[in-house]
Parts: sequence; structure tokens; C-alpha cells
Amino acid sequence: MKRSIPFEIFRYAAILAALAVTLVPILWMVSMAFKPIAEWSATGADLTWWPKNPTLSNFQFVFGESTNSLIVALDRTALKPIVSSLLSAVFGTAIAMSAGTAAAYGLSRFGAGQNLQLALIQLRLFPPMAVMIPVMIMWAFLNFNDTWWGLALIYGIVTLPFAFWLMKTFFDDMPREIEEAALVEGCSRLRVFTRITLPMMRAPLASAALFVFILNWSDYLIALLLTTREWVTIPVYMASLSSSMTGQLYGAKAALGLIAAVPPVIMGIAIQRHLVRGLTFGALKQ
Amino acid sequence: MSAVTATIAEGEMDAALAKPTLRDEGARLGFRLTLPAQILVLFISAFPLLMQLYISVTDWSPLSGAGWWSAWEMWNSFANYTDLAADTRFWSALERTAIVMLVCVPAEFLLGLALATLFADDFPGKRIFYSILLMPMMVVPAVAGYMFFMLFQSGGPVNDILSRIIGTPVTIAWLSDPTLALIAVMIADIWQWTPLMFLILLAGLVGVPEDQMKAATLLGANAWQRFTTIVLPKMKTIIIIALAIRVIENFKIFDTLYIMTGGGPGVATETISVYIYKVTTQDLIWGYVAAIALAILIVLSIVAVYAMKRMAKVREVAA
Repeated sequence: MKRSIPFEIFRYAAILAALAVTLVPILWMVSMAFKPIAEWSATGADLTWWPKNPTLSNFQFVFGESTNSLIVALDRTALKPIVSSLLSAVFGTAIAMSAGTAAAYGLSRFGAGQNLQLALIQLRLFPPMAVMIPVMIMWAFLNFNDTWWGLALIYGIVTLPFAFWLMKTFFDDMPREIEEAALVEGCSRLRVFTRITLPMMRAPLASAALFVFILNWSDYLIALLLTTREWVTIPVYMASLSSSMTGQLYGAKAALGLIAAVPPVIMGIAIQRHLVRGLTFGALKQ
Repeated sequence: MSAVTATIAEGEMDAALAKPTLRDEGARLGFRLTLPAQILVLFISAFPLLMQLYISVTDWSPLSGAGWWSAWEMWNSFANYTDLAADTRFWSALERTAIVMLVCVPAEFLLGLALATLFADDFPGKRIFYSILLMPMMVVPAVAGYMFFMLFQSGGPVNDILSRIIGTPVTIAWLSDPTLALIAVMIADIWQWTPLMFLILLAGLVGVPEDQMKAATLLGANAWQRFTTIVLPKMKTIIIIALAIRVIENFKIFDTLYIMTGGGPGVATETISVYIYKVTTQDLIWGYVAAIALAILIVLSIVAVYAMKRMAKVREVAA
């Protein structure tokens, strides 16, 4: 439809306003991450929107290479929390994707496990806070507290609904002729699944895995409850980066926040096409 | 010739599919493929729920020295549940959660819908604007919380912008004022989740058939009439799904809020998740927490069944 010029002007003005609101918080953190300590909490006329003396010292500080002219030295660097976030999110994604994909195929092709549909929606509905008491007790019993594998297991369960529903809609959409032809050729059904279906579904599998990874990587609450010291993840470590002596370590936290924020934003843009499907449990496709 | 081959092939296929061995193989494989997911679901639901139910009728706490299995020695004859009914901090946290939801979800919906209508047709720069506008929802919520924590410092950029507009220095202590802290927390939530509404509503808006819109235009309907009589009815289910998702997720609100205010000042921004978190980690009365959690789970289960039916209906329509 042809639009009038006033409308186009209004549209660009509105979109630019939305872009500004969207970007200011992000850019403020990016700017803070490169500010030297003197500019961290400068206020009033000294408030700097963009670092006057850009520096990498905040990044060096969180990795323990510089004390950033602070009195405190970190008792540990950001390295291990990053490793912890990576390990728990990657293995959590692996658990969710393997259990979810297998179950989705079983339901999509053989009608097995009908109960999983409702059970997994319910699993997503509950606030994690409301089921964490038994989980904390069980994890303590299994000696899983404060370990990356304990986190990976709970992440795998928490994101299983997304893996399952995403893969189920992908399998439902997939034409079955090729599978049927292979069956006629004498392939067993398991072989059809592993040798024909899965390789064909490589792209959807990758999108679903990225989606699930973003969710796992974004967790704060579960890690806050299940890790205490050894294997805290980036958000938990970041929140602990302040001391009564020095107050908020703005720049250091912003540097860490930037490190945490970049991977999911890139991945999210990469799988933009499937976001709607993922977020609505496959109820909507784009 | 080719037609004949095809017929034979089809016949073979029917025979192959009908062969009882194959069908049994399918049923067995289906069972085995769903087994890991079933075990995980059982592992996180059946046993934990029973444990939660058991602990919820006792005074057990991790500090009590005894293992959770011997909690029956601390049986308190449903005192946790009667305490809950009289717990003003719990009810005010619930009320606050409702207020946050009633402000944030409609705001996100309206802003998302407005943005989606602007993006309904093509224009130069659409793709790049779209990608940028989606960014907030991909930012780790805890990091978003930290962003807004910085923005709302009394010497921070929000006050800086305000003082430039007004012309006099503004030094509002956003996060230490009970009302302003709640507003700041809600702004952060709206910033992060309007993109989700935008994304879903735009997907629905694009699905509205163009020819109907054109026909309506020819019949003399103006933009507003087209919107209310064609677009909204077509998008009804999508709107319900989008609202349902945000209501569910907003009810759980924790990460951004807790990083920004820790539930404070006082209990001014203490939502239900923050309240449970504090009782769990500071007061350590886990028997009581179990009772709160179970009460919430029961209410939400009823909602889940309803939402599920709705979703199933949508899928039928879509299919």
C-alpha cells in the first residue's frame, strides 16, 4: 500500500525514538566498560557519555592483570565464572536438545509420550523459585551443589520444554516422503531417524540449540541458589563484584556485563527467523 | 510406464507400513525415544513435589540439624498454611507482583503493537531497525538489571537527561525512593520485553491477508476501521498467546529487579519471587517456603491447563 509522506516522516521519527530508547542503556554500559576509574561515577557537569580516556583496564582488572589503581585486588578473576557459564550452558543445552529432540521425534512420528506436551508446558509455567527447595535438597544429596554439572543438569531440565516444542514443530513440518522411501528400502526406523532425518534437520537443530543455549546462558536465579563459590556463573560473579571498601566497581561490572551480553545477542540475531516459533512453543511460525 | 511404477511403489509402501513388525518397531522406538524426557520430567516433578508436600507440613529447616526425611518429627499440623493466610508480607508481595504485571504487560503490549504496525509494510532500513529493536530481549536479564541500576543512579544518565530538559540539575535518588524504585524496575521490564511483544505481534500482523485490507479500503473503510474490524479479529489468538507468555514470565520477575534494588528500599519492590528467595536464603524456614511454593504451584497448574487448551485450539486453527 502506498503511504503518504507525512506518514513516512512520522514513521521514521517514531522508529528513531524507539531506537534511541533501545540503545541508550546498552551504549551506556559499553561506554562504562571502557571508562577509567576517574570517570566511573562522575556526575553533573563531569558526567561523560563517552569515555574521555578510553581504557582496557576494566577488562584487565576482571581478568586479574591489573588492580586498576583500586585498593582491593580481586580474590579471584572472571576466568572461572566464564568457564562455569560456558560449561553449564553448553552441557545443559546438550541435555535438553538430546532428550527433547528424541522425544519430539517419538511424539511426532509414533504418537508416543502424549503426556509430555502438557507436562512440559507446566514445567515452563512454574516460577523456578517455587520448586527450588526440593531441588536444593536433592542437589545437596547428590553432591551437585556448587558444581557446573549440577547446573547443567537443572538447565537441561528447565529448557527441555523449549527444545521439545521447537523440534516437534520442525518434525511436524518436515515432509515424510524421504523417510517413507527409506523405510521401503528396508532401513530400520531407528536408522531412518539417525541417518536420514537428523542430518536433514541440521539447520533447525542448530537454531533450536542456539535458542536453548541463550536461555541457559541468561540464567541468574538458579545459579544464585545452586552455586556458592567454586562454580558461580558470570551474572552471580558480577553481582558479587562490589565491596564495602570501594563501593560499586562500575567499570569492572560493565566490562563483565558486556562479555556476558555479547554472545546471546549475536546468536539471537543469527536465529531471528525462529525466535517467534521458539518463544511461543511452536504455536506461531514466522 | 512411470504411472505404473508409481502405483506399484505406493502399493509396496502401504504393505511395508502395514507390516505388523514395522508398526511394533515404531511403537517401541517411540517409547524409547521419549523415555529420557519422561525420566527428566519425573525426576523434576514427582519426587520433588512429594518432598515439598511433606516438608510443607513441618517446621523443618536446613539449620535444624536433622535430614529432611526426619522432618515428620517437626510436624506442625498445617501451621505453615494458616501462617501463610495471615502473612501480610506475602500478600503485599503478591499485590506488588500484580501491580507490576498490570502496568508492564499492557504497556509492553501497546508499545509492541504500535511498533509492529509501523513495521507492517516494507520501507528502507526495515531489516536493520528490526534487528536493533529486538536486542533488549536477548540481553542477559541480570546484565539488563545492572544497566538500569547504573542508569538510575542519582548522578547517572537518566537524571542527566532530565536536567538537560528542565535546565536545572536533577538529583533524584530513584532506587532509594519506594515509589520511584518500583517505577524504575517497571521501566527496565518494559524496556527488555516490549521487543518480545513487537516480534510476536508483527508475525501476526504480517499474516493478515492483504486482499481483505484492499477490499476494505475500496469499500471506504479508514485505517482505524480496517484495524479494528479486520486486523484485530485476525490477530485475536496471537494477541492472547503474546499476553499469556508475558503474564507468565512477568509473574516470575526476579533477575533484573533483584540486581537493581534487591527488593528494596525496605520491601518496596519485593515481588513474590524476591520474597520467596529472601525467606529461602535469609530466614531459612524451608518448611514454610515449601508451603508458599505449593500454594503457588496449585494456582498456576489450573492456569496451565487452561492455557494448554487454548494453545491446542490455536494449533488446530493453524493446521
